[in-house]
Amino acid sequence: MNTPGSQAPDLRRRFRVMAVVACAAFAVLFVRLWQLQIGAGEQHLRRAHANLVAEIPIAAVRGKIVEARGRIVADNRPTYDVYVTPRFFDESMLAKLGKVAGLEHDRIERMRERLHGAKDLVRYRPLRVLRDIDRDQLARVETARLELPGVRLEWSPQRIYPMKSVGAHLVGYMNEVGPEELRTRRDEGYAAGDLIGRAGLERLFETSLRGRDGRERVLLDARGARRPKEEIAELGITYLLHGAREEARAGHDVVLTVDFDLQRVAERAIGRYRTGAAVAIEVDTGRIVAMASRPTFDPNLFTGEVTVQDQSNLESDPRRPLIDRTVRENYFPGSIFKVLPALSALRDGLVSTEEKIECKGRHELGQRTFRCTHAHGKVNLEQALARSCNVYFYQLAERVGMDRLADISWEFGLGSPTGLGLNSEVGGFVATKDWYHKHWKEGFRLGFTLNAALGQGNTKMTVLQAALLYATIANGGRLFVPQIVRRIQAADGRVLQEFAPQARRTVKIQPDQLRWIVHALTGVVHDPHGTAYGVKVAQTLTVAGKTGTAEIGVQRRGAQEGSHAWFAAVAPAEAPRIAVAVLIEHGGQGSKVAAPAAIEILNAYFRSPDLKMAATTGEAP
Amino acid sequence: MIRARRFDWTLAVAVVAISVVGMLNLYSATWTSRPQLYSQQVSWMGIGLVGFAAAAALDYRTLSRVAYPLYVAGVLSLVAVLFVGKTINGARRWIEIAGISVQPSEFMKLMLILAMARFLNDWPVAEGRALRHLAIPALMVAVPVALVLRQPDLGTSLILVLIFATVVLLIKLRRGALISLVIVGALAAPLTWSHLLKDYQRQRILTFLEPGRDPAGAGWHARQALTAVGAGKLEGRGFLHGTQTQMHFLPERWTDFPFAVWAEEWGFLGSVVLLGLYLFLILWAVRLASDARERFGAILCTGVAALLFWHVFINVGMVAGVLPVVGVTLPLFSYGGSSVLTVLVGVGLLMSVSLRR
Repeated sequence: MNTPGSQAPDLRRRFRVMAVVACAAFAVLFVRLWQLQIGAGEQHLRRAHANLVAEIPIAAVRGKIVEARGRIVADNRPTYDVYVTPRFFDESMLAKLGKVAGLEHDRIERMRERLHGAKDLVRYRPLRVLRDIDRDQLARVETARLELPGVRLEWSPQRIYPMKSVGAHLVGYMNEVGPEELRTRRDEGYAAGDLIGRAGLERLFETSLRGRDGRERVLLDARGARRPKEEIAELGITYLLHGAREEARAGHDVVLTVDFDLQRVAERAIGRYRTGAAVAIEVDTGRIVAMASRPTFDPNLFTGEVTVQDQSNLESDPRRPLIDRTVRENYFPGSIFKVLPALSALRDGLVSTEEKIECKGRHELGQRTFRCTHAHGKVNLEQALARSCNVYFYQLAERVGMDRLADISWEFGLGSPTGLGLNSEVGGFVATKDWYHKHWKEGFRLGFTLNAALGQGNTKMTVLQAALLYATIANGGRLFVPQIVRRIQAADGRVLQEFAPQARRTVKIQPDQLRWIVHALTGVVHDPHGTAYGVKVAQTLTVAGKTGTAEIGVQRRGAQEGSHAWFAAVAPAEAPRIAVAVLIEHGGQGSKVAAPAAIEILNAYFRSPDLKMAATTGEAP
Repeated sequence: MIRARRFDWTLAVAVVAISVVGMLNLYSATWTSRPQLYSQQVSWMGIGLVGFAAAAALDYRTLSRVAYPLYVAGVLSLVAVLFVGKTINGARRWIEIAGISVQPSEFMKLMLILAMARFLNDWPVAEGRALRHLAIPALMVAVPVALVLRQPDLGTSLILVLIFATVVLLIKLRRGALISLVIVGALAAPLTWSHLLKDYQRQRILTFLEPGRDPAGAGWHARQALTAVGAGKLEGRGFLHGTQTQMHFLPERWTDFPFAVWAEEWGFLGSVVLLGLYLFLILWAVRLASDARERFGAILCTGVAALLFWHVFINVGMVAGVLPVVGVTLPLFSYGGSSVLTVLVGVGLLMSVSLRR
């Protein structure tokens, strides 16, 4: 070697500088470690724990919906859902999961979108991607689980409607909470993928039915896999799990006033027609015993994986199956309205039950001619009701006047919602002189009153209001708030809340006048001249009812757009217990279409031991 | 002739101590997921020990004679990597020989140190070196750096440059040369940013400068490492008891982040002891450099000291969040045969110098 052994002094100095620099650099590391481990140690330890601890919800069992005879109409069954933690999931696994679970292409696409939508910390949270997989899928996913990290199977209770389409509108349905609701209803504890009541009782009683989810604390490793207890004990972190379990609280059961045997009968009775509705109410309580809207649908469709086809079928069906025609739609009442001008005239002494008015088949008012179905000759009020004579009611209308007609309509609950609260019920409409002045170019004219008295003006009512109107007449004038829920009870059967019948008001009409009207209406069914004479009523039963054929002013859809057929009735006439209203949209004549359906319901109601037979013969299509 | 009492026990004990805790730590990092890595590392330690003994026994002055051929062999092996190398995670860094993967760029660090030592020893410039005197050493580092960047391996390139810089700062430079070097460095930085760095590397640096940028993406690894280190607190969570490690929240537990495993399970006390051992080893190497009988030995020791220092400082700095995430291993802690062998042979060279003071 050609260099002398001893180092030059300047080189030694450089080595000292080097040593000092190294020490300084390490000092920086020491200070930093002090900061991290001593200064912020506790904070980092908490963060390390937070990495591990996950709160898994324990799904609360939703309350059942039980019909009047104790049969379950909304129940729960165990299902398996597939969860995916986006962080540990990639394209190849998505393809594999799709294959294993046998998913359609668009289903996989939707899943991919959701997984890509997960950003930041959400990527570490399991997302429910498949709900209610069938047993084959369950077996295949379970088998392939080792090749599918980030995929987890979880059990949860699932809503099921054993009666399928029967009572679908009143029971309602559920589907997943949307992203919008997740924001607005966060306080109520809804999480992505939760189901929420969307219609009917499922929606109205959401709070009672829902219960409260519990939670369980579990320790997950970085891949989102749950670690066994022994391993957690080994790591000495069992204390992280202490006192962390919060049991789920089951939802409350809702017990209905509706008898599903009668419900089936009602649905079958109107099921012969394209669209329509029927409501049956207990006269003395306002309790609804049947409430049918046609067409109906299967609420089970919404709870499980709704196929695109099913959904679009429901949405594109021109009959709009999701509309509850008992409360959500209102109709011109036609002649079933005639009881109101009759009662108003009786109350104000404008007509006696004896007075006869001659019907020559037409009624002249100024230059206009108002027609009757045919010349009825001289008829009194009872005959006019039974035979549905229009001329008689034209004259009556002239005596009563528009606004007194409106008064009595309001008194019987028309023009405002009944208070049932179900399916966003509408209130119908009661026309007044003022309204005509405001909304018609030529202002109010007497002719409007004549039409109004026949239920052909602008007044509209829901099928529920029609049933309630007749129930109020039949019970001596007590207008009830209709009821569909009898009580709410805990899962163990303990009664939590009992709903007593609730009267809204008593109409100011003498009971004997109301009784007289009921009596007069028996002629409709039982008098050979009655409009509904010939419809087969069960032996020993007397039905008091009124037909209605509401003409639709505008022929919008050609011949299809016929008159609405109505029938409203109470029975037995001597001591009424039940009121029924049936409407068949564009069904034609009330007497031919609606009356048989309504009387079929009444017959079934009073033959109730036989109802079980009816129930087994199947439901309305 | 080696006399037993001149055997550098201090050096040996320090290295053995670091190796032992390094193996313990590797066990903790791998036993739940990749237990085979531990036994592989044990084998490499054995090979490394042979390398250490051989390097220590060999008179380093003999090595001086073969420094250039070794350097050329190193460069050729890097060229070979680009053609026949094995690609793992998108980087072509390994050559497989008889079923064993070796990483030539690791050995290149020692080759570079030897070649530079030889050159600077052979061409002393009494009045201080001008820039032109540095042309050849610069070329010596530039060639392997360019090859390693092609793999790509930013961490190793960085280490090579830093070893070069450290050695150059040791020798006498003219003022002009020093200023020029600083200017060249300043000019090189933006070019490095725009041309040499891959997009993911730029992301890492941006994330380091602004940690909130992407909490679940590029910043995730770094954050989990910080959490692991911090959670160790004063006394640590205990061997095999760190949840960040054992529940796999800590990424790259046996390659880039073994220090986080150590810090989580042994706490501040353990970290101080470990860093103390490293610092001691580095200072001891500097002392050996200072005591070396001639320039070649001094530069050799300085080079090995620089290698150790930069590896430890960058790796721990990265884990502790004072430096951006760069793939630089922690000597004797990170899994990897080539790395272990390189470090142990490097320490063997220190021993060789120590024995011949």
